Amino acid sequence: MSTGNQMSKSHHMSWITHELKLLQRAYLSILALLLLLALSGLAVWSGLQEIRHQQTTIARLAPLQAEDLAAVAHTYADAPDAGYPAYYTFYSTWDAPSDAAFLAIGTRDSAPYVLRVRALGLQAQLYEGEIFNPELALPGRFDFAFVLIYLTPLFIIALMHDLISGEQQTGRLRLLASLPQGRQVWFRRTSLRFMLVLLSLIIPVLLGAVYADTSPGALAVILAVIASYVAFWFGLSLLLIVRGWRSVTNATALMSVWVLLTLVLPTLANVAILRAVPVHQGVDLMLAQRQAVHGAWEVPREDTMQRFYAHYPEWSNSAPLPQVFHWKWYFAFHQLGDESVAPQAQAYRAGLLQRQEWSNRLGWLLPGVAAQAILHRIADTDLLAQLAYQDQIATSTAR
Amino acid sequence: MVNNQALSPAATSVEYVLDAVNAVAAYGSKTILHQLNLHIRPGEIYALLGANGAGKTTTLSLFLGFLAPQSGSIRVNGIDPGTHPAEARKQFAYIPENVALYEHLTARENVEYLLDLAGQRETADTIANSLAAAGLAPAAFDRRVSGFSKGMRQKVAIGLALARKVPALLLDEPTSGLDPQATTEFNRLLSLLRQQNVAILMVTHDLLSAADVADRIGFLEAGRLVEEVAAEGQDRFDVRLLHRRYAGQA
Repeated sequence: MSTGNQMSKSHHMSWITHELKLLQRAYLSILALLLLLALSGLAVWSGLQEIRHQQTTIARLAPLQAEDLAAVAHTYADAPDAGYPAYYTFYSTWDAPSDAAFLAIGTRDSAPYVLRVRALGLQAQLYEGEIFNPELALPGRFDFAFVLIYLTPLFIIALMHDLISGEQQTGRLRLLASLPQGRQVWFRRTSLRFMLVLLSLIIPVLLGAVYADTSPGALAVILAVIASYVAFWFGLSLLLIVRGWRSVTNATALMSVWVLLTLVLPTLANVAILRAVPVHQGVDLMLAQRQAVHGAWEVPREDTMQRFYAHYPEWSNSAPLPQVFHWKWYFAFHQLGDESVAPQAQAYRAGLLQRQEWSNRLGWLLPGVAAQAILHRIADTDLLAQLAYQDQIATSTAR
Repeated sequence: MVNNQALSPAATSVEYVLDAVNAVAAYGSKTILHQLNLHIRPGEIYALLGANGAGKTTTLSLFLGFLAPQSGSIRVNGIDPGTHPAEARKQFAYIPENVALYEHLTARENVEYLLDLAGQRETADTIANSLAAAGLAPAAFDRRVSGFSKGMRQKVAIGLALARKVPALLLDEPTSGLDPQATTEFNRLLSLLRQQNVAILMVTHDLLSAADVADRIGFLEAGRLVEEVAAEGQDRFDVRLLHRRYAGQA
């Protein structure tokens, strides 16, 4: 029994050795694999650099914040009321990157991961930037997700398009097919190429994960996503190349599928989702809030305070407003300005979530969109992560 | 020294190693072979001659298992290549008209690799023996085949067949493109395989080579095996008669 196992193991090893020997002399294939390894390494390195830069920025915030607070406290130590320091004090908030963010930068590249907010109308401060779905923002930053989703299929196509047709064109196909295990050769060669592509992608990811101390759970999901996506493209390539077309036809067909699945269909779907779920721009919200706030200067102060007390009765017993400007009134109309756009803010948020939901559904049809969505979720760099950061800011401001 | 005994295939129990009985083959609605009856014994060399489109390659495809007969039966050492292709392919070696090998591998590596695809592992000695028995000079064993002539490539393919120790050999136009010396050398190799009881089916246009080495010659005409001539006496075949027969048909 053990002899049988040894023989089988030795035979198993033998085919890998043989196929590796064949592959290593196919210089273009080796070059393609090395290029993929280099791109994957570069993307991981670039992601780590970006995240390190963000972490350094965040680390500088706490001492700066302390300095800021001390300066405001010093300047307004003798201020007649607490409104002065409250108005001039900025609070730094930040969204610390996850231990897997270096692989898929997502919205961290375009949306603020640091916001300095004041105890004034929050909505205007939150929506100074826009929010979008990273899965549908083509093709975006050069990070590992980009290399995996957009570039890796091209390498797979380069390695697979002439796997069978090449043998046909060199006249070896009939000889191979006449051998008892000749038809296994496609399985062997595809498996070997699959393993090598996987290694080219995974080695830099593992090194990056060790450096970033990525949690084993997140890493397992990331590796599963990489393996599944690569397997999808190998499967698709096999499906086409067994049809007996010439190499150039195989390459053209596979490239067309690549363009369709990674560029055309996601773009069309994005347009369709944007039309199906109309959402006002975040900047509209900001403008509406500012208009409400600016309009409040023209409203009689007592009316503003009545409205404010109606919302916050716990403050209704506070001292009446003096004849001159008072911060209490100023903060009250800012708060009311925020509340006036609350329904729009809710609708904006709901719209964004609905778009995200649709793009997640799209993942069932477009593997690239699915892989990207999962990577961004695991990396905590998607829309949900950005909204969670805004929620945190809102909660701390309310406190 | 070449150990030819070690390269001999196992003894076979069937009467005909390559056996076609009333085989009909067609591509779509076009019938290529009509009721083909072809029976080749162990140690027999059968040359199948015919004009282009007569059905020679289709006959090979039936034995190779690339094409299933519409009716009738095909057996290789008693095994149906249509229903048990992998098992049937263990019974024969096939040498195509142009032996395309892996150019950047050496002769030895090619045999080793193709043996692996045949599900077989042989020692370096066996591979060297089989290449030597096929007539390849030892100095060429470890040279890349990219610089090999057609004759040398065929020797590598014969070496592979010898190492596989199969009871049948299928040859597609084996002497096309070979010079007379290489053809003679090739025929010597076929005779060696005949001594080892290998049943050989060669489809060819080369009447002289067929007359030189074959035990029987069959003429295919528009998908029908119209005549079979067996070698007789010291002269084996009347080549002029064969030529008249072949030229008349072609």
